[in-house]
Amino acid sequence: MRYNLQVLAQYVRQSFLEWNAGRSFTFTLVVQAVVPPLIGLAVWTRALPGQDLITLYYAVLLFARLLTVSYEHHTFSSRIYSGNLIDDLLRPHPVILAPLGVNLAVRLWHVAMGLPLILVVGMLIPVRPELGSLLLASPALLLAAALQFLFTYGLALTAFWTEKAFGVVGIGQTLIFLLGGEAFPAWLAPSALKPAMNLLPFRYMLGFPAEIAAGQVTGSALLVGYGVQLAWVGLMGLAVAAIWRSGVRRYTAVGG
Amino acid sequence: MTRLLGRILRLSIQQLTAYRANLVFEGFLTLVRLAAGLVALGAVFSQTDSLAGWSLGGTVVLLGTYQVVGGLMGAFIQPNLSFFSEQVREGKLDDILLKPVPSIFMASLGSCSPWPLLQVVLGAGVVALGVASGGLTTSSLQVACYLLQLGSGVVVAWAYLVVLASASFWAAGLELNVLYSASWQLGRYPVDVYHPAITCFLTFVVPIAFVSTYPARTLAASGGGPAGVGASLLAAAISLVVANLVWQAGTRRYTSATS
Repeated sequence: MRYNLQVLAQYVRQSFLEWNAGRSFTFTLVVQAVVPPLIGLAVWTRALPGQDLITLYYAVLLFARLLTVSYEHHTFSSRIYSGNLIDDLLRPHPVILAPLGVNLAVRLWHVAMGLPLILVVGMLIPVRPELGSLLLASPALLLAAALQFLFTYGLALTAFWTEKAFGVVGIGQTLIFLLGGEAFPAWLAPSALKPAMNLLPFRYMLGFPAEIAAGQVTGSALLVGYGVQLAWVGLMGLAVAAIWRSGVRRYTAVGG
Repeated sequence: MTRLLGRILRLSIQQLTAYRANLVFEGFLTLVRLAAGLVALGAVFSQTDSLAGWSLGGTVVLLGTYQVVGGLMGAFIQPNLSFFSEQVREGKLDDILLKPVPSIFMASLGSCSPWPLLQVVLGAGVVALGVASGGLTTSSLQVACYLLQLGSGVVVAWAYLVVLASASFWAAGLELNVLYSASWQLGRYPVDVYHPAITCFLTFVVPIAFVSTYPARTLAASGGGPAGVGASLLAAAISLVVANLVWQAGTRRYTSATS
């Protein structure tokens, strides 16, 4: 375990430095990541003016978005297609450590580059979150980050079967946009969609921590939410392990 | 030129069928994205009757228009200009510059991806849905003006992407394709929903307003008219000139693989 953590830390450090070389590109990715929550903020504050909770919700969602970005369909799928995965398979540690290291480094860059924007939005919003709500939102945020990585990584693994994984991941990302709380907060969702939002994993990948910070999830609903989130992390972990085992068996590298 | 476009289309369909599984998912993705956009609008209008002066019907027309232009860009322009800096860095532009057709034409329309044309068809359906469900009465003159503005929107979007891609001639490491995708999303809603400064920016600097808001406004009869058509045509003309000037200036800097 300790060895794996050391290896992971090395991957994070290495990827952080690699992405430093392409800072301008990373910046464009940050812009792409922050635009949807900002659009949501603009639309909903225009639709329901004076509702400060919505503003607070989207401000926290902005941070959640930066902390949960996942690009495994670019960073990892391409290694499967190009045959470079063979290098990873020969290394004396679990293969997932490398994409996880890249993921964490990219998220660090996103948060670092997006911090000025978060501060500006934080200063502009008329309401401040309560410290207790923020503390309660923190574990949900970490679980959301884990869940979104597992989800995107699992979809990226479809590269073992498909010639291009972008279509599959694109569908997943659209579902996160719609049911994850980016298009609308869960409490403003059409009633027909609410059961699906509560049950499916998408809300727990993004919107749930922001709802807690905005004070919309309290008491038993909070505990149930944590429980569902944990269950999805477990299920998604098992699913990823199964997809990996099945995929790697049919992997034949370049020319195989 | 038409024959050349036809051959490009045929060749692109052959290339597309090589990735059959992805083809299915791309088609499904188009449907899911469109449905997601409609559901998102439905959620907003379940809480209010008007969004920055726009009715539900008007915003559905706008979403359909956005999809139509997005589909045309995805089919004909983006396959050529996405990640364009790589072509500049590796000197792959030599081929294009040596062909006996205008280089801006070959660089931006040299290949195509027919699948997003489904998005165009579905987008047109959404426009019709918006008109019907919103009870919008449209005269033939309005439809003609709308189509004119739609064409202008395509020209504006094409020029914007050409200008962003041309930045690679000055800074080969700069890849603004992602920035294009980010700003493109702002056209999903009427520009009137944003802060006035951003609306101004989206009209005069990054003219996304002419892609969806202006055409939809004409059809939704919420402030369109001859002035809107004139503004769209002017924006298209200016965009065309700017794109050509920037492209020419950029290609003059191009020095093949060593650039």
